[in-house]
Amino acid sequence: MSMHAAGLAVDKITPARVLAAIATQMRVVNALVLRETKTRYGNYKIGFLWALIEPLVGVTVFVAIFSNLRSDSPSGMPLVPFMLVGFICYGFFRDPWGSMQGAISNSRNLLTFPQVTTFDVILARGILEIMVCFFVLGFLLYMAHLAGFEVRCERPLGVLIVCGLLCIFGLGVGFLFASLEPLIPSIKQFGSQVMSRPLYFSSGLFFTADTIPAPIREYLLYNPVLHMIELVRGEFFYEFETSYGSWSYACTWAFATFAVGLLTHQAVHKRAIVKK
Amino acid sequence: MISLRNVSKKYRTQAGYKVVLDNVSLEFPVGKSVGILGLNGAGKSTLIRIIGDAEPPDSGSVHCDQRVSWPLGYSGGFQGNLTARENARFVARIYGESTRYVEEFTREFSELGEYFDEPLKSYSAGMQGRFAFSVSLACNFEYYLVDEALETGDARYREKFRMAFEERRANASVILVSHNEQTIRRNCDMAAILHEGSLVLYEDLKEALLEYNILQNQPR
Repeated sequence: MSMHAAGLAVDKITPARVLAAIATQMRVVNALVLRETKTRYGNYKIGFLWALIEPLVGVTVFVAIFSNLRSDSPSGMPLVPFMLVGFICYGFFRDPWGSMQGAISNSRNLLTFPQVTTFDVILARGILEIMVCFFVLGFLLYMAHLAGFEVRCERPLGVLIVCGLLCIFGLGVGFLFASLEPLIPSIKQFGSQVMSRPLYFSSGLFFTADTIPAPIREYLLYNPVLHMIELVRGEFFYEFETSYGSWSYACTWAFATFAVGLLTHQAVHKRAIVKK
Repeated sequence: MISLRNVSKKYRTQAGYKVVLDNVSLEFPVGKSVGILGLNGAGKSTLIRIIGDAEPPDSGSVHCDQRVSWPLGYSGGFQGNLTARENARFVARIYGESTRYVEEFTREFSELGEYFDEPLKSYSAGMQGRFAFSVSLACNFEYYLVDEALETGDARYREKFRMAFEERRANASVILVSHNEQTIRRNCDMAAILHEGSLVLYEDLKEALLEYNILQNQPR
């Protein structure tokens, strides 16, 4: 934490100083989130619509394919809510990651302010994306309900917990990429072209693990996001209990990645600031 | 009081390492405005960024027990696609000031008129400087770190800034970086010279300027 931010020298750590530092950090992150909202969505209202359109496009395409392909819903779940839950919840992982990875490079001028740290600018972006995802989840499910689809949530608390896991995983990957991106710019391309597409198709957005042939499933189940999507459907739908999604596997990946992301940030952020 | 303790900073360039600060220890006296002189490329801007905690030193530390501004320059920490009003609110929030007060003060003091609600990127350099100074004055710092930009805007406006700083002299000091003697002479009580990694503070402003003159005329 910056000594200027706390307004005190850092020679001794006292509870009062720790509190002052936490207060400053909360003020800064709050200001950054508001500012990020303004830059992202403030100038053109259509910007916010994208947050809704993006999952809707995925859902529409796959609903169209699947309703022509076969008549029954996957594992007995209603088709449209099945897709909605998959695609929107995937956003809890992908959106923080996508938005956080350029945080340091794109916020260099903000770092001129002593109390604004690389940690703050990265976290603020993640928080904004997560808030938008929660809004999109609620809004689109409600719209689906109004449109006459069967939307019934079995264990809302469980759904929130899995969404939390996806967020923690996304924040971890986000911190990792954001910290390394100023030093290794090509990591962004690696993420978007090598990692993101396979993840999109292997994370169970439009299928469940039990519909995949066993030899392939074995490999797909290395993907922690597939576990999380399986779990979130298990929590959401009365008709579905996952036999492959593993809480311990999902939690291990989420928290381990989160730790790796934060540690990487701690290790390289001083070098990342200086790099132009 | 601001003090530097064993601060070192170097940059990697094509030609090898460029040392900006070589184990510098210095105390800036309380209540004095200090000018920092240095030839182009001596690392003045880096120094003021380190004092303002905008950039970490390689080793050593900076200590201060007063409210210090961010390093004021033309663009500083502002975002071009947001308006002056939005940027002012952001500054107020991170410094824990009243957003309304900072917004109003900045709007009046900067005299930007209708431009106040236009994105900063549409401003001229002079207008950006006016905005940056107005926001910082709204925040009542005890130390203002200034990177060259006092020369901003037209003569009448420069005078207005000088008056405002003069008023604040009782509770506020300036650390001003410049390669321009005139600027230092007008605004500072004493001066330090940054040259080849060392920073030397002269109690006597005249002596500092004399030394700086010798430095400038040295064949390189």
